[in-house]
Amino acid sequence: MKSMTRICLFICLVALGLAIGVAAYAQAPAAAPAAAAAAPPPSAATAELAAAAAKAPATTDLAKGDPGGTTTGTVNDVPVSDSKTGLTLGDTANQVGQNKIAINFVWTLVTGYLVMFMQAGFAMVESGLTRVKNANHTYMMNFFVYTVGLFSYWLIGFAIQQGGSAGNGNLGGLNSLSVEHTTTLFGKTWGLFGGTGFFLSGHTYDVGVMVLFLFEMVFMDTALTIVTGACAERWKFLAFAMSSSIMGALTYPLYANWAWGGGWLSQLGANNQLGHGYCDFAGSGVVHAVGGITALAVSLIVGPRIGKFNRDGSSNPIIGHDVSAVLIGCFILAFGWFGFNPGSTLGASAAGNLRIGTIAVDTMLAGCTGTFGALLYMWIKNGKVDYSMSGNGLLAGLVAITAPSGFVSTVGACIIGLIAGVLVCLSCSFIENVMKVDDPVGAISVHGTCGLWGVLSVGLLADGTSNYGGAWNGVNGSVTGLFYGDASQLAAQLVGISTLIGFVFTFSFVVNLVIEFFVGQRVSVETEIAGLDLPEMGQLGYPEFVLKPEPDVMLHAEKEYAVA
Amino acid sequence: MAANRSQGSYYTLFLAAATVLCAGIFFWSGGMGKLLFVVGAAGIAGSVFGMLSIKSLEGKTALKPSPLVMKLIGAGASALGWVITLFGMHLTPSVSGRILLALVGIGVSLFGIIVVLPAAFNKNAVWKS
Repeated sequence: MKSMTRICLFICLVALGLAIGVAAYAQAPAAAPAAAAAAPPPSAATAELAAAAAKAPATTDLAKGDPGGTTTGTVNDVPVSDSKTGLTLGDTANQVGQNKIAINFVWTLVTGYLVMFMQAGFAMVESGLTRVKNANHTYMMNFFVYTVGLFSYWLIGFAIQQGGSAGNGNLGGLNSLSVEHTTTLFGKTWGLFGGTGFFLSGHTYDVGVMVLFLFEMVFMDTALTIVTGACAERWKFLAFAMSSSIMGALTYPLYANWAWGGGWLSQLGANNQLGHGYCDFAGSGVVHAVGGITALAVSLIVGPRIGKFNRDGSSNPIIGHDVSAVLIGCFILAFGWFGFNPGSTLGASAAGNLRIGTIAVDTMLAGCTGTFGALLYMWIKNGKVDYSMSGNGLLAGLVAITAPSGFVSTVGACIIGLIAGVLVCLSCSFIENVMKVDDPVGAISVHGTCGLWGVLSVGLLADGTSNYGGAWNGVNGSVTGLFYGDASQLAAQLVGISTLIGFVFTFSFVVNLVIEFFVGQRVSVETEIAGLDLPEMGQLGYPEFVLKPEPDVMLHAEKEYAVA
Repeated sequence: MAANRSQGSYYTLFLAAATVLCAGIFFWSGGMGKLLFVVGAAGIAGSVFGMLSIKSLEGKTALKPSPLVMKLIGAGASALGWVITLFGMHLTPSVSGRILLALVGIGVSLFGIIVVLPAAFNKNAVWKS
C-alpha cells in the first residue's frame, strides 16, 4: 500500500513538472515581444556611440600623459545632457553645431585682433613720413583715434551700422540685431540705418553680437586713422578729436550700413536687379575709400603745410624722418591684412568659408604686384627706387584687393595690385600738382583712389566661382563681373562709387566745415613752424635730438627724386 | 595758443553730452529718454560754443579766407552727382543706361571735388602771396 502511494506521488510530481514545463514553453513566445517593446534593440548609430565610449581611454590611461596627442579629445569630451541615458545623437549634433560657431567665433576674434594691430602699422608709417618735430603729435593722433573711435562706435556707431543685420548664420544668427529703419522710394524699400545695439545693451548683450562688434569696430578705426595721415603736421588736436568722434559715430557707420548692414546698397541686386547688389568683400570702399575721401575733404579745409608750395604753384618735397618706421609699419599693415580680408568671411566653418585660403593668397599677391607697380614706376621715372612710394605701392595693392579678395582669382588679384601700384604714384602726383592738396603720407591716393579702384574691380574681375552659402546679398549664385559675363554687377559697383564720392565726401566736407567754424581745424603759424610736439603735446617725440632750423623753402631732397 | 585746459574741458563735456544724448536715443520710448536727449543736445551745444569762444585764442593760422559760395557750389556739385546716379536707376531699367548715368553722376561729383573745391580753397592761398 505504501509503495502504491509513493508511485502515485511520483507520477503526480512528474505530471506537475511536465504541466509547468509545457505552460512555460507555451508562454515563452508571448514574453519575448513584450521584452522587445520595453527596450528596443540599439540602432547602428547608437551602437557606434556606445562602441566609441567603450574604446575611449580611461582616466587611468589619460593620467599617464598623451605625448602623441592620440588619446586627448574623444567621445569622453562631448557633454552629455542626461547622465542616465548617456551620450545621444542629440548631444552629438548640438556639439557639432557649437563647434561650428566656436570655430567661427575664434576665427573672427583672432582676425579682428590682427586688424587691431594694424593701428601700430599706421602709426609707424604716418609718423615716419613726417618730420621729427611733429613725431609725438602724429603718433598721438594714431594712438588716440583708437580710443575716440571705439567709444563713439560703442555709443551709437555700431547700432547705426549693424542694428538691422540679423541673419548671419556664421555667428549664430545675431537675431537681436533686428531693427533697420527704411524708407520707400521709387516703389522700393531702402534700408537707411540700424536701430539696435546702442551701448551693446538690452537684447544685444549677446555673445555673437560681441564678436561682430569687435571685428567691425577695428575696421571702423582703420578708416578713422587714414585721415590723421593726410592732415598730419598742421591739424589741431582738438579738431582731430572732434572730427574723429563724428566720423566714428556717423559718417563711417552710415555707409557701412548701406553696404554691409542690410542697407540699400547691398539690396541693389534684390531691389533693382543690379548683379548681387553693391559688393565690397572686406572694405576697399567701406573702410579705405571712406577714410581716403574724408581725408581729402579735411585736407582741403586744413590747407597745405607751410613751405609745401611755392609761389608759382610748384611743390617742394618734405621728407619724412624715419625710413625704418615707414617700412616696418608697412610690414605690420601687410601682416594685419591677413585679418582684414580672410577674416571678413566672419567664419572659417560652413557657408563656403573655406575660400579663406584663396582670399589670403589673393591678398599676398596684390600686395606683391602693388609693390612692383610703384617701385618700378618710380625707378623708371626717376632713376631711383623710392622707399615711400614702394611702401605706398604695397599698401595700394592691399587696399585695392580688399573689396574683390573674396571674388577673384589669383591672376585677377595680380592685375588689380599692379594697376593699384602704378595708380597710387599717378594719383599722388595729380593731387599734389594739379589739385594743390598737401597729403604728407599719400593717404588720399593709397586709400581713396585705390579704394575706389578696388570697388570698381569687383565689377570687372569677379570670376563667379565663390559660393558663400549659395547666395550673396540675398541674390542666388556667385558674384560675377563684366569680364565674366555680368555687366549689371559693374553698374552696382558704380552706384557704390558714386555714393562714396557724392554722399560720403559731401557729408564729411560739411561736417568738417562746421568743425572749422566752431573749433578751427588748423594750428597757428607759430605752432606749425615750431613743430606740433611741444605746443600741442607738451613734449618732443625725440627729446635728445637737436632740431636744425627749417630752411627758407623746405627743400630737403633733390626735386627730381620726389613723387610730385 | 596751442593745446590748453579749456580745450580739454570742452572736449570732455562734448563726450559726456554725446553719451547722454545716445542714452536718450536708447531709452527714447520712455519719458526719461526724451529728457536725456534734450540734456545731451544742450551739453553738446554748450561744448561747441565753448570751443568757439576760445577759438580766437589760437592765433593766426596759415589760411586766408576763401569764397564760401564756391565751396558750397563744389559740395553741391558733388552731391548732385550722387542724386543723378540714384535717379538714373529709376529712369532706365537697362544696365547700359544705368552704367551711363552712373558715370555721368560720378563725373559731376568729380567736377565739384577736383575742379571747383580746389579752386575755391586755392584762390587766396597763403603760398600764392
